[in-house]
Amino acid sequence: MARDEVRIQILVDADVARAIVVARQLSREAGLSTPRSTMIATAVSELARNILKYARRGSVTVRAIDRDGRRRVEILATDRGPGIADIETAMKEHFSSGGTLGLGLSGVERMMDEFDIESAPGEGTRVCAALWL
Amino acid sequence: MLDGETVVHENDAAQAIRLRALYQIDEMDLERIRSLGSALDGKIDAAVARFYEWMRPLPEFNEYLSDPAVLERVRRLQVAYWVDFLRGVIDAEFVASRRSLGAIHARIGLPLDTYLGGMNSFLMTFSEVASESDSDSFDTSHVTSLSKVLHLDTAIVIDEYNAITKTIIAEQGDALMEMSTPVTEVWADILMLPIVGVIDSRRSMEIMNTMLSKIAETRAHVAILDISGVAVIDTAVANHLIKVTRATRLMGCECLISGVSPAIAQTMVELGIDVGTVRTTATLQDALGMAFHVTGHTVQREA
Repeated sequence: MARDEVRIQILVDADVARAIVVARQLSREAGLSTPRSTMIATAVSELARNILKYARRGSVTVRAIDRDGRRRVEILATDRGPGIADIETAMKEHFSSGGTLGLGLSGVERMMDEFDIESAPGEGTRVCAALWL
Repeated sequence: MLDGETVVHENDAAQAIRLRALYQIDEMDLERIRSLGSALDGKIDAAVARFYEWMRPLPEFNEYLSDPAVLERVRRLQVAYWVDFLRGVIDAEFVASRRSLGAIHARIGLPLDTYLGGMNSFLMTFSEVASESDSDSFDTSHVTSLSKVLHLDTAIVIDEYNAITKTIIAEQGDALMEMSTPVTEVWADILMLPIVGVIDSRRSMEIMNTMLSKIAETRAHVAILDISGVAVIDTAVANHLIKVTRATRLMGCECLISGVSPAIAQTMVELGIDVGTVRTTATLQDALGMAFHVTGHTVQREA
């Protein structure tokens, strides 16, 4: 059965894997092309891994929804982790506080049609990203 | 209700307090359970007998209880269980005994609905027996108290069912891991590792270790990592694959990445991943051709 919305708690590596698989399936069923479904799945992977790495726990919601008369697939990633002090720096290419490529957040922003991040130290992080159909 | 020793955990006492609050069980409730206990004194055997009448037509009865010796042992444990329940004490030992009870039922694979059906059958029997025995001293408040404690009791059992299910899932994951990095020497000097599914940090390490030890063992000069079955290549996975190719190169082995699908290629470009000098191909066939070239093999169709 096609689902319009799936919310996955991110606690362990296996949850990231499940989120990726479910996001890809939901995107395809919503009618996104294969490359764009892969982009949704990849963005989910980036965001879910960030949650595990920095906040240890949080959740990722993927949903197909109508906005302004058009359909889109949205990702909402939230956590109550330490938050990001300087979003502008965190969004910069090649910035990383975790010894990786440092492309994660900026890469997600580039892949997505819409991208929004809210965070403050001690307040957790909330990322909303979307691709239009 | 089968046997099994009860091990009290460190946080069982705290758990007992937490659950009592969650199910709003106060001293009055426990007092009512105790008074039910005295009313049911000597009638528990009959209630247990009724439970087995309920259970006899179910397929589970034949499956688990067809041996009369087993049935008798389980019956006696069940009587002990209800005597304990009707003591009206919820402490660390109570929590521990319910947990081991849940574990036993989950391990033998008794369906949860059968377990809950059984609990329901006891609730009905006890309510009936209590109302028959002395209708003046028993009212709905007793049934309410009984339900609260039964719910608490059942919650512990269900939690244990869940915990065991999670353990099974984790074990299945481990079992898959064992099979997930099959490095094979497809040709003299050429190794191949197909990667399927989702790559997490644990699996990344597994890929690195297996690949490098196989190179040391076979002294191969080319290794092909086929990623056509990989769900996504995010920055963490890409970073790791790049590291694998660097490490193999240090060991004198060229690493080719094959099976880059159109979707993965587009996504990697959008993400901004630069694979640098890593050699990638669209298909495994292309990579194999490249590998033959590097190792000096020529493959020809017979004329």
